[in-house]
Amino acid sequence: MPAALLLALFFVGPAVWALYSSLTNLALVGIDAANPRFVGLDNYTRLFADPDFWTVIRNSVTFVVGSAVIGQFGLGLALALLIDHAEHRRWWLGTLAYGAVLLAWVNPTLIAGFLWVAMFDFFFGSLNHVFLSSFGLGPVDWIGSFPMPAVIVANIWRGTAFTMIIFLGALKTIPPDIYEAARMDGANAWRRFWDHTLPSLRPIAALALLSITMSTFGTFIVIQTLTNGGPGTATEVIALFAFHTAFKSFSIGYGSAIAVVMLALNFAFAVAYLRWSRARA
Amino acid sequence: MTTRAASQVARTATAPRGASWIETLAAHIVFVLVVVFFLVPFVWLFTSAFDADAVAYIRLPAQPTLNNFVRIFTEHDFARAMANSVLVAGSTMVLDVVAVSLAGYSLSRLDWRFKSSITYAVLLLQTMPLSATMVPIYGLARALGLRNSYAGLILIHAAIELPFLIWLMKNFFDNVPRYLEEAAWLDGRSKLRALVEVVLPVARNGIGVVAGLSFLAAWAEVLMMIILIDSQDLKTVPLAFYETLRTQGGYVEVQYGLVAAMGVLYALPVMALFLVTRRMMVRGLVASSRGL
Repeated sequence: MPAALLLALFFVGPAVWALYSSLTNLALVGIDAANPRFVGLDNYTRLFADPDFWTVIRNSVTFVVGSAVIGQFGLGLALALLIDHAEHRRWWLGTLAYGAVLLAWVNPTLIAGFLWVAMFDFFFGSLNHVFLSSFGLGPVDWIGSFPMPAVIVANIWRGTAFTMIIFLGALKTIPPDIYEAARMDGANAWRRFWDHTLPSLRPIAALALLSITMSTFGTFIVIQTLTNGGPGTATEVIALFAFHTAFKSFSIGYGSAIAVVMLALNFAFAVAYLRWSRARA
Repeated sequence: MTTRAASQVARTATAPRGASWIETLAAHIVFVLVVVFFLVPFVWLFTSAFDADAVAYIRLPAQPTLNNFVRIFTEHDFARAMANSVLVAGSTMVLDVVAVSLAGYSLSRLDWRFKSSITYAVLLLQTMPLSATMVPIYGLARALGLRNSYAGLILIHAAIELPFLIWLMKNFFDNVPRYLEEAAWLDGRSKLRALVEVVLPVARNGIGVVAGLSFLAAWAEVLMMIILIDSQDLKTVPLAFYETLRTQGGYVEVQYGLVAAMGVLYALPVMALFLVTRRMMVRGLVASSRGL
């Protein structure tokens, strides 16, 4: 099977390679590049004692909560409800909004990063030069002063469509007679929403949340183009940390240890995700 | 499909009565804000690409020009980058379609001992973010001599999209009735011939989605390109774009017009294909749960 071969080579292979090299002091340059030595768990003890690692974990959690849980999930749910409503009312602006959100998502991630570099630009970015100045406000150094909110906004822009589509699909599967019955019972719109719409969305919501948490946890390109982890380590999330360690400090062994930690965390999320989706099926 | 359509009809029939003007106004204000937030960056991209001296803020080009596009081809060898990208994405697509048809079919139909655990493993692999495998894939590609080669780019891009494409294709095969290929077997065709001649034509929508998504994914992907390629000759579209952006920032003023022109050519195929095959692609991408 060609598929099995490719999978074995480029998924199982890297996992084994990562586990092995994370136990060595393999480097890209210097003496260790030629003769990597087996160093046991040194990379891991070093990693867990590294204050940078804990900063990076804190940044990753902030980024995931801000961009995935609050941003993409909250905004995605709100947009799905609004657009679903607009479909019933036949408001064409709802369709346009749907298309706009979708466009930001299918667009290559690298472009998303670049577009927001320009939007946030201190001297001439659209946010300062067009938006703020039209209110007579002075420029704000978005990336310098608010690096984390800036990358979060860019990632919300890029990724909201996924949750929105998932919820739009789920809303269409709610049988309409439920609402009709509730309306007969005299339930107002808010009650109908709270008692019927939200509970029917709960199972799919858990899956959507787990899945965007996983992909947001691995975010790399958007942050790299916008801030490259900076200023200082303000937006250095775990994927950038692995990249910088392996390719800027040339410590492949240490970088592999970070990759193994990432894979392990992701694995835990993935198992939870699959358990949940099987329980539903 | 029919139940969906039926519930759609029923919902329209029981749709709430006319909206109050406050509700209409509030909803439309929100929609306008949403449209502005999501579209403004694109407006900037397209206006800058046609602006001879583009700037970081939005403005209509005083004299719309194709000069930026001419310059990326004459000064930045963008034609080579595009040819490389088409080659890599096209080969990835062919490889993936073959591999995915076989793997999806066997997961859908054949009974073998470890099928359920393999299905589970495929699902599990699908959720791994690329950035987590970046360091090990770099190390492995270096050890196997696959860096700076078309073969490495194609094999690795084909592989990273496989898990979710297999899963997608398995679902398409699950919907093809079994009696079709059973009839073909009775006619004396082999399993492989029955798959190619009978099952695949029925599942051609699935093949189309797999082909489209694997091409787009390999066209748009940049992380693997960054770690696998240093050679100028193998530079692809995203790498050209990335380099122009990176090398200019800091030393020279960013030439927004040039970068935006590259960006337009980079993003346009993706957007165009999506507009044409929107519904299917969206379903496929949602199944992938990660996007491009």
